Amino acid sequence: MSVEEREGAAAGPVDDEGAAGTGGFRSALYMFVLLFLTWILLTFSLDWQELAAGAVVSLVITLFFEGSYRAIGLPTLSPRRLWYMLVYVVVLGWAIIKANLDVAIRILNPKLPIRPGIVVIRTGLTSSMAKLVLANSITLTPGTFTLDVIGDRLLIHWIDVRAEGLEEATGIISGTFERYLKEIFE
Amino acid sequence: MRVLLSLAVVAVLAAGIVTVLRDVPFGGNSSRLGSHFVENGREDTGAANIVTSVVLGYRGFDTLGEVTVLFVAAVGLGALLVAGEKNAPRKLEKASMVLTTGSRFLFPLILLFGAYIFIHGHLTPGGGFQGGAIIASGYLLVYLGSRDRRLGKNWAASIETGGGLTFVLLGLAGLTAAGHWFLSNFLPLGVPGQLLSAGIIPIIYVAIGLKVGVELTGVIDSLMGGTE
Repeated sequence: MSVEEREGAAAGPVDDEGAAGTGGFRSALYMFVLLFLTWILLTFSLDWQELAAGAVVSLVITLFFEGSYRAIGLPTLSPRRLWYMLVYVVVLGWAIIKANLDVAIRILNPKLPIRPGIVVIRTGLTSSMAKLVLANSITLTPGTFTLDVIGDRLLIHWIDVRAEGLEEATGIISGTFERYLKEIFE
Repeated sequence: MRVLLSLAVVAVLAAGIVTVLRDVPFGGNSSRLGSHFVENGREDTGAANIVTSVVLGYRGFDTLGEVTVLFVAAVGLGALLVAGEKNAPRKLEKASMVLTTGSRFLFPLILLFGAYIFIHGHLTPGGGFQGGAIIASGYLLVYLGSRDRRLGKNWAASIETGGGLTFVLLGLAGLTAAGHWFLSNFLPLGVPGQLLSAGIIPIIYVAIGLKVGVELTGVIDSLMGGTE
């Protein structure tokens, strides 16, 4: 790896928040538990052989790659946050259904009432993971599409630009998502 | 003239194909080998996955050849690209924050999935080659996303050597321990369907999975252009 690449990586947006409580042990535990639960879901068995193999694989991956989870800002888990995650899945699902119907109606309408354009919105979320979830939620909802995330601004392609102002557009596009994500991540 | 010549060539080819294939029954069993594998594979090798019982049980020696071919291909590609590489480091554009964070989050999970595929090669569809390809795809994602995590050359070399050696040494052990043949399955076969079954097959698949994963990652690494 050349020096330039190394510096580029260190100055990357991922490392912006520094050591915000994400110590090595915590990220390692996070990764191990996540991997082990994924293994159980994949094998779908509680046989001791499967569990032992899963524990070994999860441990080896964690030992080598724990660094990946250090600075991406995973939320500290608590029952309240887990509850909000479940609620968020429902909220997002409902938003996707509504947006699907909205876009379908626009397409079927002979007048084709669309006004496509690109708007900028602002986010109050600070952790990279939270911004990632927000950007993907916006992309998953038909009609809006995240082009890029730069700092606290999101570049959104919108099928029907109803508001061009920063605050207005933010409220319409990401207001609901942002409220729940704040509870989960901040 | 050219048209006539082409027609003649096509006619000869067609006649040849018709002569050869006329007597082969369509859709039927052309040999008894297939049904033998289907009926006895489970008992003979202990692998619940019949494809694996053929690939690593009945025809393990062929698989050793395939692993060697892949190794030679990876080494050849690496040698060609390194030889033609200019020394000026390429200027790389930084990836978007979404891609960087997403690739860091998903990378360990992709590795786990690859390991799951090759560890269960004797039970479910998939095996060492498929699991290794998944692991390499995880590395590709990281290369695209953050470009800060490269497979160390020493690690790569030891895993590659270790994988190949495990395969060959297990084969030789079968030759001596059981007194049978190269790559004979000398470990207990266990109950088909359990994780610890099929004797040496899962061990070989873990070795192949790691080896193929490292080799394909090396191919991606060579194609990305940067060497250390």
